[in-house]
Amino acid sequence: MNECNEREIQAMLPDMLHDALTPAEKSRVEAHVARCEECEEDLEVLRKVKRSTVFTPSIDIDRIVRRIPPYQIITPPIERPIERPLEQPVERPRIASWLAAASLALFAVVGGSMLLVHGDSGEPTTAAIALASGVEELSDGGLVQLMTEMNDFDALPATEPEPVLAVDSTDGFNQD
Amino acid sequence: MTLRPEGRPEETDMELIDRWKGGDSHAATKLVGRHSQALARFAVSSGERDGIEELVQDTFVRAFASLDSFRGESSLRTWLFTIERRLMLDRRRAERRSRETVPVEESDHVSEYGALDSLIAEEAQERVRLSLDALSPTQREVFTLRVQQGLSYREIAAVVDSTEGAARVHYHNALRTVKEFLKDE
Repeated sequence: MNECNEREIQAMLPDMLHDALTPAEKSRVEAHVARCEECEEDLEVLRKVKRSTVFTPSIDIDRIVRRIPPYQIITPPIERPIERPLEQPVERPRIASWLAAASLALFAVVGGSMLLVHGDSGEPTTAAIALASGVEELSDGGLVQLMTEMNDFDALPATEPEPVLAVDSTDGFNQD
Repeated sequence: MTLRPEGRPEETDMELIDRWKGGDSHAATKLVGRHSQALARFAVSSGERDGIEELVQDTFVRAFASLDSFRGESSLRTWLFTIERRLMLDRRRAERRSRETVPVEESDHVSEYGALDSLIAEEAQERVRLSLDALSPTQREVFTLRVQQGLSYREIAAVVDSTEGAARVHYHNALRTVKEFLKDE
């Protein structure tokens, strides 16, 4: 018996048993099987196999249907935004506060010193500078400016304040 | 398209599924009636001997419980075969575990298969059954799905979780083995 190389026909043999071929395909397969001994044998084997499981246990359809649960619409779970834990405020170390205060104090001292130096060579421009440097040293123009600025103050001490040596940026006019 | 006796076309599986979802229990009866024998045949062909009806029942219960996940990309029957095959694999795993722990008794050899054997009247059919037993489990599944159920290679690949090419090879090798077996007898 010659070996058949008609792979396409061989692949269609099971479909022949299940009437799953088009009329054209069926005619083609039948024509081939009629002249090919190997495919004829294959088709006969396939027929036997298909017939072999005719007898299967009887199935009680009603019993199966009774076991089937009623249909329940499966609703997708509501998507909720992922709740992230609130960020805990970072507790700044105490030293940071101290550093900040120290920086401010240093800034005030350095700034005040620089302005004092500047005051030696030119006209002070603010009342604080004038107080720091001493009213006596002010020129006429500077004195007029000082008086103008002092008019804007909400309250003035009853007595003329003593000149301060250092300017506190937060409370420039306290002499305590 | 299959026609009903009165000339109207037979309802498709998808139409019956929609009817069942709408509360029509008769639709479930029709679906079970349409596919239960094929599932039983597939189980027997795959080597199952006991509890065929329970297996078919479990397949339907599981399938109906998850019908929303059936997208209709394959036929309903192919999808049912896939579910049934998974159940068979689970069974075999459980049996293997129980065999490892429980000693096999003589009475265990008596099974429903004896009754089934008596139903197979013709000797030729018995020989075919024996030839199928000579195949590997995967070969047997692929071969019976192709020959007895008429599934395409693509559908078979989906059922046995493999590729079309592998299914073709399994089918070809199985046919050669069965043919040789039947020739030698």
